[in-house]
Amino acid sequence: MPRIAGVDIPEKKKVRYALRYIYGIGPRYSDVILSEAGVDPEKKASELTDQEVSQISSVIDGGYLVEGALRRQVQQHIQRLRDIRAYRGDRHRRGLPVRGQRTRCNARTRKGRKKTVAGKKGVKAH
Amino acid sequence: MSRSLKKGPFVNEKLFKKVMMQSEAGPGSRRPIRTWARACTIVPEFVGFTFQVHNGKVFTEVFVTEDMVGHKLGEFSPTRMFRGHTNKKEGIKRA
Repeated sequence: MPRIAGVDIPEKKKVRYALRYIYGIGPRYSDVILSEAGVDPEKKASELTDQEVSQISSVIDGGYLVEGALRRQVQQHIQRLRDIRAYRGDRHRRGLPVRGQRTRCNARTRKGRKKTVAGKKGVKAH
Repeated sequence: MSRSLKKGPFVNEKLFKKVMMQSEAGPGSRRPIRTWARACTIVPEFVGFTFQVHNGKVFTEVFVTEDMVGHKLGEFSPTRMFRGHTNKKEGIKRA
């Protein structure tokens, strides 16, 4: 099983698609990286030679933020917003949507599972 | 969608002039600048100044640091205050 960029071991799929299992690589960068590395995108990941795997790894190491490093960068950006106490940082702190979405209903991705409030209109008490 | 680069950042002219006047007069004469220009982008010249940014009710003190460059003044002066939901027994909570 090929290992690229740390722990990721995508197999059985064509490399174009397998690479997308790496955090930070999507459809676009998957193709860009493969053409840079000179690897046939249609090849199955399991059929990659050791040389091709190291080709791909070195391309990723040399210029693409993936996995831990990328996650850390995202966290740093959020932390910056918090530190300067901007509105967006405040929304992150409260776990509410950051980009002006409504919160009267929905917004469940940010707010987490519904917390039922007794006595609220439309909600019957247990 | 972000703003066209061609236009450059939006900076309130009057406010910018005030900042320039103060910075030319030397660091000793820096006083907080009252402003309603929440939509004004913070440019590097503003770093180290204190603004009092109106939020519709009061003026919030905002000390501009380097990290704030590129944001708008209004981002640092919240217009809403959420004190928690009302409690049936105790009425509205006052924090």
